Amino acid sequence: MRLLKKTDNLEMSYSLKGRSLWVDARRRLFQNKAAIISLFILIFISIISVFGPFFIQYGFIDTDWNSIYQPPSLENGHYLGTDGNGRDLLVRILHGGRLSLSIGVIATFVSVFIGVIYGTIAGFFGGKLDTFMMRVVEILYAMPYLIFVIILMVVFGRNIYFLFIAIGAVEWLTMARIVRGQTISLKEKEFIETSRALGQSNTLIIIKHIIPNLAGPIIVYITLMVPSVIILESFLSFLGLGVQEPLTSWGVLISEGSREMETAWWLLIFPGSFMVITLASLNFIGDGLRDAIDPKEY
Amino acid sequence: MQSIQKNIKNNDLLLEVNDLNVFFNTTDGLIKAVNNVNLSINKGECLGVVGESGSGKTQTFFSITGLLSNNGYCKGSAIFKGFDLISSSKKERMKYLGKSIGFIFQDPMTSLTPHMKIGDQLSEISIFHDNLTKKEALKRALEVLDIVKLPKLRNLITSYPHELSGGMKQRIMIAISLMCSPELIIADEPTTALDVTTQSEILNIFNDLKNQLGISIILISHNIGVIAETSDNIIVMKDGSIVENGSTYNVLTNPQDKYTKLLLSCIPPWLDV
Amino acid sequence: MIKFITKRLLIAIPTLLIIIAFGFIMMRVAPGGPFTNERVLPPEIERNIQEAYNLNKPLYEQFFIYIKNLSVGDFGPSFKYKDFTVNELIISGLPVSATLGLSSIIISLFLGSFLGIIAAVKRNTYFDYSVMSVSLVGICVPSFVMAPILSLFFGLYLGILPTSGWNGGSILNLILPITALSLPQIAVISRMMRASTIEVLNSNFIRTARSKGLKSSYIIRKHVIRASILPIIEYLAPASAGLMTGSIIVEQIFGLPGIGRYFVVGALQRDYTLVSGVMILYASLLIILILITDILRAYLDPRVKI
Repeated sequence: MRLLKKTDNLEMSYSLKGRSLWVDARRRLFQNKAAIISLFILIFISIISVFGPFFIQYGFIDTDWNSIYQPPSLENGHYLGTDGNGRDLLVRILHGGRLSLSIGVIATFVSVFIGVIYGTIAGFFGGKLDTFMMRVVEILYAMPYLIFVIILMVVFGRNIYFLFIAIGAVEWLTMARIVRGQTISLKEKEFIETSRALGQSNTLIIIKHIIPNLAGPIIVYITLMVPSVIILESFLSFLGLGVQEPLTSWGVLISEGSREMETAWWLLIFPGSFMVITLASLNFIGDGLRDAIDPKEY
Repeated sequence: MQSIQKNIKNNDLLLEVNDLNVFFNTTDGLIKAVNNVNLSINKGECLGVVGESGSGKTQTFFSITGLLSNNGYCKGSAIFKGFDLISSSKKERMKYLGKSIGFIFQDPMTSLTPHMKIGDQLSEISIFHDNLTKKEALKRALEVLDIVKLPKLRNLITSYPHELSGGMKQRIMIAISLMCSPELIIADEPTTALDVTTQSEILNIFNDLKNQLGISIILISHNIGVIAETSDNIIVMKDGSIVENGSTYNVLTNPQDKYTKLLLSCIPPWLDV
Repeated sequence: MIKFITKRLLIAIPTLLIIIAFGFIMMRVAPGGPFTNERVLPPEIERNIQEAYNLNKPLYEQFFIYIKNLSVGDFGPSFKYKDFTVNELIISGLPVSATLGLSSIIISLFLGSFLGIIAAVKRNTYFDYSVMSVSLVGICVPSFVMAPILSLFFGLYLGILPTSGWNGGSILNLILPITALSLPQIAVISRMMRASTIEVLNSNFIRTARSKGLKSSYIIRKHVIRASILPIIEYLAPASAGLMTGSIIVEQIFGLPGIGRYFVVGALQRDYTLVSGVMILYASLLIILILITDILRAYLDPRVKI
């Protein structure tokens, strides 16, 4: 006859080792069917995006004027159809996947990196430094950042690397705010005081205690941020400001597809589906992670 | 081990709990938090419930009053003035809760609604149960604040919870339970979050409620000292079951159970329990 | 209260100036001016044009002239739409974008919150699952995918709604654009509200309210809503920013003559004044919204000091 000890403050026990919350969290995550299925789907899409094009006979820029606007078919090898230039849609979608996914991951990590450092410093040291740093964030927040990104893209040319920077420059704000908020509430907790009483230096406290405890919310926000970055990139590409020819991304493909949708529905539906499925998977994984780390059983 | 204390004068019986079992559905499986609990309390009596954290003492009374979380359910009967609280519908039970049965929670700091004025949080009970008007309800609120020895300040009624101290908040919680003149108050660790002086003031209030107003009190605590000061009878709980049951004097001077003896031996000898 | 507002406004003005300055510098620093793409003009004419548009003055002087004009509400002439001033262009597009934006934000907030609260109260029922599924669609299908699909389905296949054009603001023309624009926001808001409401429902003070024996609907009305709506208030400004950017796409896809369209065209053609003007407009709107958010937050949560 076992009994459940009610831990009122789950956050406090994050720092306990032993049968730590990570083991519990992992177990809960694996029980979440939607999240696991989504994880597999995501891995599948990533793998075929990276390796798939090697197995397809068509290159993604190969034009074939004899087979323009072909609907999807199994015989002629264009499984998902072709576009107005006779280019095979499937291979273009896979190439687009490479770009969209890598932008998603890289830009997110850039913004997480900046955001975590910025937020921890602001939250931990507090005082005037904090006020100043958050003022800057507020000002940047007030800018309709997408407008701003568009301007940046227009001004500095449509360089693919600049796209990473532009997106990262915009997304770190939210992360910084969250991290700062969490740092502030963590700072007040008793175990930090204990560390101080033991004479640990500030840097040590930040690295050993604060950042690991931030891991929970940060992971959750990463999984929410990646889809948002992918959407941002696609948005820019849709407007013609993001990825440029000959490179392609899902945003570009959707943009082309939406213009031709009346005559060639597959040009919109297939890239769109890939994107929606990826985004949905990321969301389920994010939800699963969030429930695993901070379960709300009822 | 579980001696059921039957009362000779049965019309004095206020609450009788029989074979209460409480279960929770968790990701770890089904958990039994309370195991075959039987207890009873009479009018004007104070029953102390002692046990360590996790002994099931809180869940026992949450289950009776329908305050269990969604993943919990219970079996058994809890007859209050002839009416079984557990088997009745939510609607029926709500007629008793807040009106005849008051509940005081453990953590006063978070138990009051932050955006509502104290006066509103008090008066809404009487408006709902006793059909008083706002004015009458506020008047009753002032009476009740007097009982809990809070200064009869006008601005207490219009202030917000965050403007009050822990001790004041706990008194407000007691006041809330008193609004409709209940016959039974269940107090879950009412003094745990407070300092010692405030604690003794709160316990005095409970004694007054029992002696002067004839309200029955179920006092849950892990602190034997608190229980000893206020209770007529004691129940000792461990791991979801009752291990000892009897009058305060008997249990403290002549404990039968091993666990009770262990508990009592933890009290420093210089404390006059 | 007045002091609070004035203090926030005082912060807002330098913020606005910084934004303007930033946009200004960006545009000027960019390779290529507004006229470099056109055919090569004889030098005297080029000099005349430069002078007329103040392009031959040093940067900081151009900036001051611009600010001076701004303070009297003159956004300057559009560099590309040569017969129009930016004011005229913005004013012509404003009713369209404003109608679209305002309806979308109101619908998003109210519908989203409503669905979220009910989903939380009826958690794990069919209603909850359906609301969450629809919201998943709203989150995972970006507006630039949803808009063409809606257009295709309702416009072409079913033929019941017009797929483009403003038509003087007739309701039929508004339905699809507003839906495409609000769906992502409704999705986010309903999820947020649901999560927030669930958290509030599990809190200690709601347990106290329940122990008073009060009716559920009363508890939700008086105790729950005000406590759970706080995150939504915080989301007001980002939601509006999202709608502003979404409107760029939606206006393009549905052929609505709004401000968003001018912005994109202006950005691509380096129409400095037009782009600046639109950016200032959006930024000011956001700053006002952030101010409103602060006031609302202080009003709703008595713990916040004004």
